[in-house]
Amino acid sequence: MRRTPHDKGHDKVMYGALLDAVRGLRWSARRASGIAAPGIHPSRVRGKSAEFTEYRSYRQGDDLRRIDWKLFARSDRAYVRISEARAVTPTYIVLDASASMAYPDPAASKWSLAKQLTVGLTSVAHSGGDPTGVMVAGIPAATIQPRTRRGVIGEVIRTLEDIGAAGSNGLAPSVLAAARSSARIAIVSDFLGDLDETLRAAREIIAAGRDVYALHVIASEEIDPPISVSAVADPERTDVRRTLTAGTRGGYLRAFGDWREVTASRWLASGAAYRVIIAGQEPVSHAVRRIVRDVPATSQSR
Amino acid sequence: MSFLAPGFLVAAVAAACGVIALHFIVTRRPRAHTFPTARFVPEAPTAARVRSIQLSDLSLLVIRILTILLAGAALARPIFPLHRERIARVIAADVSGAVASLKETRDSVRILFRPGDAIVVFDTAARSIVSPESIAVSRRTPRSGSISTALVAALRAGAGVKQGADSVELVIVSPVTSSERDRATKRIRALWPGRARLVQVTAESTAKSLLPRAQLSNFLSTARPPFAVARSQVDTASAAVMQNHVIVASFERRWRFTAESLGRARVIARWADGEPAAIERDSALGCVRSVAIPIDSAGDLLLRPSVIQFRASLDVPCRSAASKSDTALRNMLIGTGRLARSAQFSQPADIESPLSRWLAALAIVLAIVDILVRRMRTTEAEE
Repeated sequence: MRRTPHDKGHDKVMYGALLDAVRGLRWSARRASGIAAPGIHPSRVRGKSAEFTEYRSYRQGDDLRRIDWKLFARSDRAYVRISEARAVTPTYIVLDASASMAYPDPAASKWSLAKQLTVGLTSVAHSGGDPTGVMVAGIPAATIQPRTRRGVIGEVIRTLEDIGAAGSNGLAPSVLAAARSSARIAIVSDFLGDLDETLRAAREIIAAGRDVYALHVIASEEIDPPISVSAVADPERTDVRRTLTAGTRGGYLRAFGDWREVTASRWLASGAAYRVIIAGQEPVSHAVRRIVRDVPATSQSR
Repeated sequence: MSFLAPGFLVAAVAAACGVIALHFIVTRRPRAHTFPTARFVPEAPTAARVRSIQLSDLSLLVIRILTILLAGAALARPIFPLHRERIARVIAADVSGAVASLKETRDSVRILFRPGDAIVVFDTAARSIVSPESIAVSRRTPRSGSISTALVAALRAGAGVKQGADSVELVIVSPVTSSERDRATKRIRALWPGRARLVQVTAESTAKSLLPRAQLSNFLSTARPPFAVARSQVDTASAAVMQNHVIVASFERRWRFTAESLGRARVIARWADGEPAAIERDSALGCVRSVAIPIDSAGDLLLRPSVIQFRASLDVPCRSAASKSDTALRNMLIGTGRLARSAQFSQPADIESPLSRWLAALAIVLAIVDILVRRMRTTEAEE
């Protein structure tokens, strides 16, 4: 879907305000990182940093420079100083760009909210020194590898400017691909596509020790459909065409509520951090703050 | 341009009106709105009725109306008739014994006849001839003709001449006597779709030609006259009256006319007491005059001027009664209204309408276009 210059200008203003709002936030890792590169997150690797943790008896092969010689002089035994290491958490934001995200309209939609969340989380992760990248499901050309260099945020914004939500690309392959080069994956989606495959992939990478954030984007019109709508069609499944009337509205609300409950339960059961973000219900910066501070979903958003 | 079966065109126009009405009452599939969570809506029929107060699908409406009208026009079989501007005539000429002079009939037909007209000559049977001159050599029967037969033949001849003229005029050249009429005449005349023209020729004197001399001679004899019966008791009458002629004498009345015989007869002479003395009556042979006035030839009664005038009055054709009956017949034959239009005659089935096949082909093409347009609309709606 082509976007007009007017839309792009509007995005820049919107992103600027968002970046200002999330400045100073830190996105702590939920698990100790296994990566050796120094950073701000706890690491599973015991290193040689200045932050002392404990002594350990010298074992053959240990670096002689790590032996505490003063202790050796006092106790006549060789000990090695163990310090707690800090590491970076490479982060990938996987963005769902399927047609269902372009609702209720391309300008102000779940897609717009998803892009803002992506930019906000990228900014937060990048400001914490973590290599941060973005992967748009089904669009390999839009992939930005996790990097720490300056200008990543701008690159992400420019990339997202030219992309519209269309098609019905699966999310699971992108999630698995992102897990190869990152320790934290945030999935921004409405999960109306390949939910089962995505959950299976998420369980695999969580088992491999990685952090997964499932950010469920919902439009308020989906929770409370407008009365004027009668015939509705699924943008990703042409065979689904239903009549939304007063008679079927109650059934829809029940079915959609049940599905959201089940989806939340499945994500939480998989070990992922699950957050619901409803378009238009809160400022995007608040949503970003809620995500990075690990605040669970409110009853309202559930 | 005219149509061989205009009913189809009328039906097509009615159907087109129905289509227009249906386009006001539109049941359309509502336009589907994109809704990502549509899968959670319970299954229900997706068709819903959308009312429209305006004409919908104008292009489709135009195509459908044209299709119906063209199909109707094709079935109505349009034809371009030949150039017609004259009135064709069907001349029914009476050559029966009711006509006084065939020469008069022939001259009348000759004046009326134009090339392309049809001539039917009739007596008790009818036949077509091509030239008025043939009337001179036609065989003449002594009996009166049948106008019913002439009308049937004229109807047949009218269907033959109709393609060359706008109107067909029926001309009957006949004395039109009541003896030429029968019970079917009125009904057959009603089959001719227009008024007729009557050229009356002189009728043969019925009394002169058909009244046997023997019957008139019973005027002087004592034989029983026709239609009379013997009186049960012979009496006498003092006078006999006929119009302005009176015979005063002593007559021996031996015969009388029964009520049955007087039913269809006309009384032409009466006795002094008012009882019929002479009658005339129409029969298959013509007018029969029966005189029940016995005059004894032995005396001088026959020499009286009053008796001579009386007898002369009896020896004239039956004109008075015939003329009364003929007037009604003439009026019936002439009829009212306009001349018969050629299109009013039954159409032969073998007239081809070359335009029909093209109209039908065009209607089929439009029907296919209608299907294609509808399919395009459906595709656009689904998209």
